[in-house]
Amino acid sequence: MQDFENIQSLWQSHPVEAKISAGEMLEQAKKEVNSIRTKSLLNIGGMVLSLIAFSAALLYFDFDSWTTKLGIGIIVLAVAIYTILLYREHRLISRNDFTVHPGAFLAKLHEYQLSRFNLYNKLFWFYVAAISLGFILFFFETLHNLDTWVQLSILLFTILWMVFCATILRKAFMKKEKERIDLLIEKFGRISAQFNEQE
Amino acid sequence: MDQKDLLFKQIFDSNSKKIFHLCYGYTGDADAANDLLQETFLKVWQNMDKFRQKSLISTWIYRIAVNTCLTYLRSEKRQAKDELTDSVIENKTEEFSEKNEQIALLYKSISKLEENDRLIITMVLDELPYNEIAEISGISEGNLRVKIHRIKQKLTELYNQHARL
Repeated sequence: MQDFENIQSLWQSHPVEAKISAGEMLEQAKKEVNSIRTKSLLNIGGMVLSLIAFSAALLYFDFDSWTTKLGIGIIVLAVAIYTILLYREHRLISRNDFTVHPGAFLAKLHEYQLSRFNLYNKLFWFYVAAISLGFILFFFETLHNLDTWVQLSILLFTILWMVFCATILRKAFMKKEKERIDLLIEKFGRISAQFNEQE
Repeated sequence: MDQKDLLFKQIFDSNSKKIFHLCYGYTGDADAANDLLQETFLKVWQNMDKFRQKSLISTWIYRIAVNTCLTYLRSEKRQAKDELTDSVIENKTEEFSEKNEQIALLYKSISKLEENDRLIITMVLDELPYNEIAEISGISEGNLRVKIHRIKQKLTELYNQHARL
């Protein structure tokens, strides 16, 4: 038969050790949000590279037909606008330090999620339409001297690739992105609610 | 490393052991306790600037840990994990010496208490002053004394019951 004092001494004699150090803890806290920022930056980086590549084609290649120049021009414009939109979104999460203002960061995270949703829905179709028009004009001159079967193959590949990006790839990306942001929102939501109660 | 990071390290080093013990007492499972410890200190780091020095920093951290523990099991996924706690504890009883067996029995007895009572008794076992426990749990000191008396009795009873089996 044990009394409470015995139980207490038993409790205190049990050595416990956390499996994580302060350094690891700090690293983990910073990593979660930084990974979203990094992915957003990589996304912008990819768009900037495409912008440079298309602009270089327009500047350094001597195309004969005005349709090619117009086609590449439309593509450059569409990519530039989309890159600016992506950058605006990136600023939503990069300008807020979640360690200083968790509440404000949470609001921005909601805004970011909504903006991301619009970007990959309504705006995405404008982007696809512009890019498609650009490629159609571009192909007038560039495919002109090729065999019919090569022309058809290139056209088919381009159409299939764009359909793949606009359907399977876009949906998978959106689903993953939503899950990731939902998880962060849930976590920060819980933190903010808790601190509102305490203050 | 900046000032905030250094301060966090100091806070973590001086409080993590106690908080881990609290979480361990609450869940009876080292992995779950580790998860809770991490979530608690993530919140501490994110809200360090909000700490107003109205109470001890350890009291503030305990409050975060208590809230974290209470919200932890509400998520469905984690509830499933909690159901495993019993078996984890039971397995542990077979592992080591008599003392370890007694410790496992103690955790098992704690796990039979109500959620809030589990957290309160863990703080009592760690000898936190009553006024601090009252502040952390949001109960008046008078009521807390009565509650602690009742929980102590219940825990002792549960422990002895399990020990007899």
